[in-house]
Amino acid sequence: MTMNGTRGYHPGLVDLASGQISREIFVNDDIYAQEQERVFARSWLFVGHESQIPNPGDFFASRMGEESVILCRDRAGAVHVFLNSCRHRGMKVCRYDDGNTTVFTCPYHGWSYGTDGALVGVPFFREAYHSELDRTKYRLVEVAQLCCYKGTVWANWDASAPPFLEYLGDFRRFLDLILDGWDGREGQAELLGGVQKWIIPCNWKWPAENFSGDSYHNISHRSVDLVGVGPSGRSRRDYSEFSGSRRLQVAIPDRGHQTITYVLPKDHQPQAAYQNSPEVAEYFRHCEEERRRRPGANNRLIGAPGEIFPNTALLPRQPRTLAVWHPKSAHETEVWRFFFVDRDAPQQVKNFLRDYYIRYSGPAGMTEQDDMENWNYAHAASRGVIARRYPYSYEMGLGHAVENYEWDELKVPGRVIDLTTAQASEEPMRNLYRRWAQFMEADSWDELMTWRRNAPLETQAAE
Amino acid sequence: MSDPINIRDLAVGTRVKLSTGAEVEIVDNPKDGVWLFARYLSSAGDPAMVGSEEMIFAQDVVEIR
Repeated sequence: MTMNGTRGYHPGLVDLASGQISREIFVNDDIYAQEQERVFARSWLFVGHESQIPNPGDFFASRMGEESVILCRDRAGAVHVFLNSCRHRGMKVCRYDDGNTTVFTCPYHGWSYGTDGALVGVPFFREAYHSELDRTKYRLVEVAQLCCYKGTVWANWDASAPPFLEYLGDFRRFLDLILDGWDGREGQAELLGGVQKWIIPCNWKWPAENFSGDSYHNISHRSVDLVGVGPSGRSRRDYSEFSGSRRLQVAIPDRGHQTITYVLPKDHQPQAAYQNSPEVAEYFRHCEEERRRRPGANNRLIGAPGEIFPNTALLPRQPRTLAVWHPKSAHETEVWRFFFVDRDAPQQVKNFLRDYYIRYSGPAGMTEQDDMENWNYAHAASRGVIARRYPYSYEMGLGHAVENYEWDELKVPGRVIDLTTAQASEEPMRNLYRRWAQFMEADSWDELMTWRRNAPLETQAAE
Repeated sequence: MSDPINIRDLAVGTRVKLSTGAEVEIVDNPKDGVWLFARYLSSAGDPAMVGSEEMIFAQDVVEIR
């Protein structure tokens, strides 16, 4: 488990047979540089939400991996994601967080681009370039693939990657839990307020594994539970409805996505929640009743922390947020947290939730502060030459996950650990790092799409 | 040499003279301080430009009419 003179990644650092993972994958600068190319340049990454760019000309400066990108809606209404870098000398052409514009103009020499990415303005085009520059060769660099899914916008630099929904696989239903309305209607989410951004001194994989479904660290949040930051003034969340449900860890092995989820019994009735505000409580009681009436498996699922490979975390229930763990260096992560509400929720509900969300999450959120404290110090204490010699243990629950899990007539995909009895396992983390190692070792998406190799020919054709 | 003109302040409809001697009318201002969208009203050096719309570089604007 040591580096053995090899500077970068090599097989064996992630040893899932023994359940041990080298600290090098968190603290090694060469491995970090490799994963920018092998993981972030090939994966589907979350870049924003359509509610941030409702009008033609609207833009939001986002990130993909280490690089700045522009999410924008062009004059014709089409959504684009561009590398935020002028084709002349590389200067950022957009230096605002968001806004509305007709052109993105480079402040260095003045090259200017339309919201569709076309190079439309070149200073002294006739005089200096003698009208000879082929402007069509110098459009803003656009992502190879883009997918708008229920308002969320995802992008991928790799044209050979599978389409986004195939990339999600069976995990789609868990993403739906955050994007669909509280009453079960499709795609009701809108962004609440701005995006909270801050930097944590740790590798991006610390929060990624934590949100993959680490229920073992709940002791870290004991003080928050005791204070009672939840929406009813108890604990962290209103989870009284979970009595009688099954608490599961679900890992989708060939995709690298994983989550905790709760499965409610068939006849389960909504429980009292949001009791600090009668109006909000009544709104959610109504939404829950509506949701349970809708057909489909999701009306009995309640979302909890999860992770879409590689760096997008979801928390569908309370607080309802997506977070992106943007890598800055092997030792720094820039977190962007997006909070969501139903777009047609009463303003009183949105106000109540805004207070709760920021009390819980974000740089000032009490629960997120607990997590950051752990990641910060665990990372720092793993950087030394002696510390690096000793791998971390990911052995918990090894060999105990089941497939084809079913409870009370509801089937759950993937590999499942029933936390109702087991309390905790590290199956989701192993799933994350298995996929991460596959990306680090595979030279092409052909090698990564293992499900296509296993699928019958007629299924492959349908995909 | 005249003082530079802050093109961010120029409203749609404003007429300006360019370094080529041409006169244009502003049809849109992205207010980036670098570019204007304008329609040619006159262009002695290239009469074919009259009526066409082009992006005008800030350094080409020499006078407000």
